[in-house]
Amino acid sequence: MSLNHLMQASAAGDDAALIRYVRLHLGDGNEAGGRAEIDKAWIVALKALLPDPPTDYAFVRKLVAERDLATLAHLFFYVHFALVAASETWIHDGTL
Amino acid sequence: MALVQRALERLGTPTVSVTVARDITVACRPPRAVFVPFMMGHHFGVPGNAELQKTIILAALRLVAEARRSGEIRDLPYTWNLARRGAYTGES
Amino acid sequence: MAPSEQLRPDLWTTVNERYPGSMIRKSDAVALATLGVPLERARLCFVSSAGVQPIGTLPFDVAHPLGDFSYRTVPSNAVPSDLEIHQLKYPSAGATQDLNVIFPIERLQELVAAGRLGSLTPQFFSFIGYNMDPVRFERDFAERLAAAVHAQEPDVALLAPA
Repeated sequence: MSLNHLMQASAAGDDAALIRYVRLHLGDGNEAGGRAEIDKAWIVALKALLPDPPTDYAFVRKLVAERDLATLAHLFFYVHFALVAASETWIHDGTL
Repeated sequence: MALVQRALERLGTPTVSVTVARDITVACRPPRAVFVPFMMGHHFGVPGNAELQKTIILAALRLVAEARRSGEIRDLPYTWNLARRGAYTGES
Repeated sequence: MAPSEQLRPDLWTTVNERYPGSMIRKSDAVALATLGVPLERARLCFVSSAGVQPIGTLPFDVAHPLGDFSYRTVPSNAVPSDLEIHQLKYPSAGATQDLNVIFPIERLQELVAAGRLGSLTPQFFSFIGYNMDPVRFERDFAERLAAAVHAQEPDVALLAPA
């Protein structure tokens, strides 16, 4: 979906179109695949915390408190890819 | 990429692109293109076949010298199946 | 011989259905520029949208939902081990084995050495093709990149969309 169409969907409150675009982006053009990738990112995130390793909570607090929403949104997309890439079955494995 | 190619040709540099998506190239109308029916991301052939890679480069450049009509797409006589099976060695 | 069909048919339509408004269509023909010298004396620039870049340069942004509107220069005397790929939207398995299948830098160097080409511009250019703002791409990015390529004073440019 082009920026123009995404802006129109946003203005019209068409959340279904917006989330469809996110799923397509994260799923390499495959909407169901993108939905599964989103689930997988959360599973990877949860599993990483289950052994209760030390984390830098102060860094997280500071980052979220001090950075603008757009940078955090960019980070959110970036971290999605980083988490899924850390799993062993990334959809973006070069074979498509 | 076709938009970059069109802009570059307008600046006076003759251009040619290698495409594996003929329908997209038809739609975007770059000045010159050669089409190979290869897998996306494999425009110059298969890993390890240096001769095929060079042959496709030279075929593309030949079109720069020979094209007389803007928008020409020249189909190159290769198939992905044969390329994958190791054909097209020793051609350039 | 009839031309072979592309491996994935109807790509323009498929992509445009998934990402409405992202695909361009042009009806006007750009006037052809003339190759002023024989290929054996021509200076060539290569331009790729495969996300190939020198190791150590800022990786292309494959996460941003609108795409990355920047390009990288790639020295034409680089070797594949100097380079890496940051682009997710095409099958890069072949390129991982042999970069020349999408970014034939060694083949171009060999063609110069063999006298089939005159020379290479000092820099080649690379970007990622995935973006969702065709207007910005055309009005800003394409013009900016074309000017940078032109400034290398090539006699001919070879382009490979990924």
